[in-house]
Amino acid sequence: MPVWELLSVELLTAFLGLGLLVLGLLVPKGQKRGLGYLAALGLVGIAALAFALREAQGVVWEGYIIDPFGTYFKLLFLFAAILTCVSSFEYIGRLGNGEGEYYALIILSTLGMMILASAGELITLYLGLELMTISFCILATYRRGDMKSAEAGIKYIILGALSSAILLYGLSLLYGSTGSTLIKDISLVVNSGGVTPLMVVGMIFLLGGFAFKMAAVPFHMWAPDVYEGAPTPVTAFLSVASKAAAFAAFLRVFFVALGDSHPLWAEVIVALTILSVVVGNLVAIPQKNIKRLLAYSSISQAGYLLLGIVAFSTLGVGAILYHSMLYVFANMGAFMVATVFYNADKSDEIQDYAGLARRSPLLAAVMLFSLLSLAGIPPLAGFVSKFYLFMAVIDQGYIWLAILAVLMSMVSVYYYLQVVKVMYLGDPPPGRPAIEVPLGVQIALACSLAVLFLFGIYPTPLTNYAFSSAAAFFH
Amino acid sequence: MAWAALAVNWLLRPKRPQVGDQRETYECGLKTQGPTWVQFRIGYFLYALIFLLFDVETIFLYPWAVKFQVLGLFAFIEMLIFIGILILGLWYAWKEGGLEWL
Repeated sequence: MPVWELLSVELLTAFLGLGLLVLGLLVPKGQKRGLGYLAALGLVGIAALAFALREAQGVVWEGYIIDPFGTYFKLLFLFAAILTCVSSFEYIGRLGNGEGEYYALIILSTLGMMILASAGELITLYLGLELMTISFCILATYRRGDMKSAEAGIKYIILGALSSAILLYGLSLLYGSTGSTLIKDISLVVNSGGVTPLMVVGMIFLLGGFAFKMAAVPFHMWAPDVYEGAPTPVTAFLSVASKAAAFAAFLRVFFVALGDSHPLWAEVIVALTILSVVVGNLVAIPQKNIKRLLAYSSISQAGYLLLGIVAFSTLGVGAILYHSMLYVFANMGAFMVATVFYNADKSDEIQDYAGLARRSPLLAAVMLFSLLSLAGIPPLAGFVSKFYLFMAVIDQGYIWLAILAVLMSMVSVYYYLQVVKVMYLGDPPPGRPAIEVPLGVQIALACSLAVLFLFGIYPTPLTNYAFSSAAAFFH
Repeated sequence: MAWAALAVNWLLRPKRPQVGDQRETYECGLKTQGPTWVQFRIGYFLYALIFLLFDVETIFLYPWAVKFQVLGLFAFIEMLIFIGILILGLWYAWKEGGLEWL
């Protein structure tokens, strides 16, 4: 397969992003709504292309690997970006500034994630990471003049720079002790038993850097504040796609390059998992703001995804792939509802959701099923994916860890249902009209709902795809 | 070792109170006028960013220019794409008023 074809997804994404930036300069102010539609349509086209190339396998050069595993993640990022664009039309249109750049930035950060998922070399990996992070820094401050948005941006820049520095230090130590930045060559050195103390220090730094992007406890401090202050569609994108990108890069570095030193880092991952699942779920209980609640829920979801890494098996990798894909739809569904609600009522407080079921049955239903899927209630897709994650760790003998995760899932049902209780049993404030949902968002909401039900009742097509990608990636 | 060196220095060094000019920031040239905690215009920052754009461009152009014959057509096209993206950035800055002194 020629290089152009292997790289076509990335090339088209870059072209779309830059093209939108140019169009944003040419189109007069006040007529930029079309840019959003163009971005969403372009992304749908690229997603179709990525799906057609899902079996593609090849090495562009030694540092950039195209394989089913990477393409799976690229599809995931594209789906998240499409849903983000669709839910942004109205929100960003109302902000009245930088509508043209917004979609370009979303697409360029998607490109960064794609590079992260395909990087077979440490410098390329870092490049993708920075492209993603810097785009998100700008996107987080998009509500110009809003203190919380500025706070979110500053926090993300400073803590992002700190975590990048830690990660970069880890990368340099890894390079220093193996003499190569290529993941393939590093794995050769590790295979031949050449693990030095310096390399272990490098691994710890790498773990810290990746855990920051995953928002796993104790590297989660930035998440609730950034999630609360950033524009809601950006929060949604940040919580699903950048987390998945961190997992993709983590799997590539730790399972392929450092796979043979697994006993050295396994215990640390177990600790991260326990902390994330427990802290994320328990701290979510007293939250009053829907975005903060979802932030802590996403921290706990990072913990569930880490279970797949603890398992260190094909089943574990497959379960991560499967869970992260469904997490995209469940979380984006919940955040899309929060966006539409904010457009109507200018509030993110859970108490203001009272009586939402009567003001907009569609919004309340999507929120209900998204939250139930996040909690892992059958017959929704979240149940199946959590089941695979728990299976994967039980297979490796971590029965107690699975029991802990299940118990914490129970806790999560409590705070998810608190929101549902307010929506369905509360009375709408008097004089509040029914909420109009734009057509594009209606379609997006219906799609996520359909995915959650379809893969909950009939998961085979997606599990086959996820597990075959995992098997090709990790033997 | 670093901490030990600092600690030993601290223990052994003579401790004399500083007087007069000794307490001032070292500076050659004229004495500072007024408070130094003044706010700078945000415009300087935009200029710095645009300066960076061309600075980085030059850094990449030099090695390419030196090895132009060896690298051939592939590098030429690659550099064109690179410069194209940078020009796009300049166009953006220009159009959004980044080059005007407010």
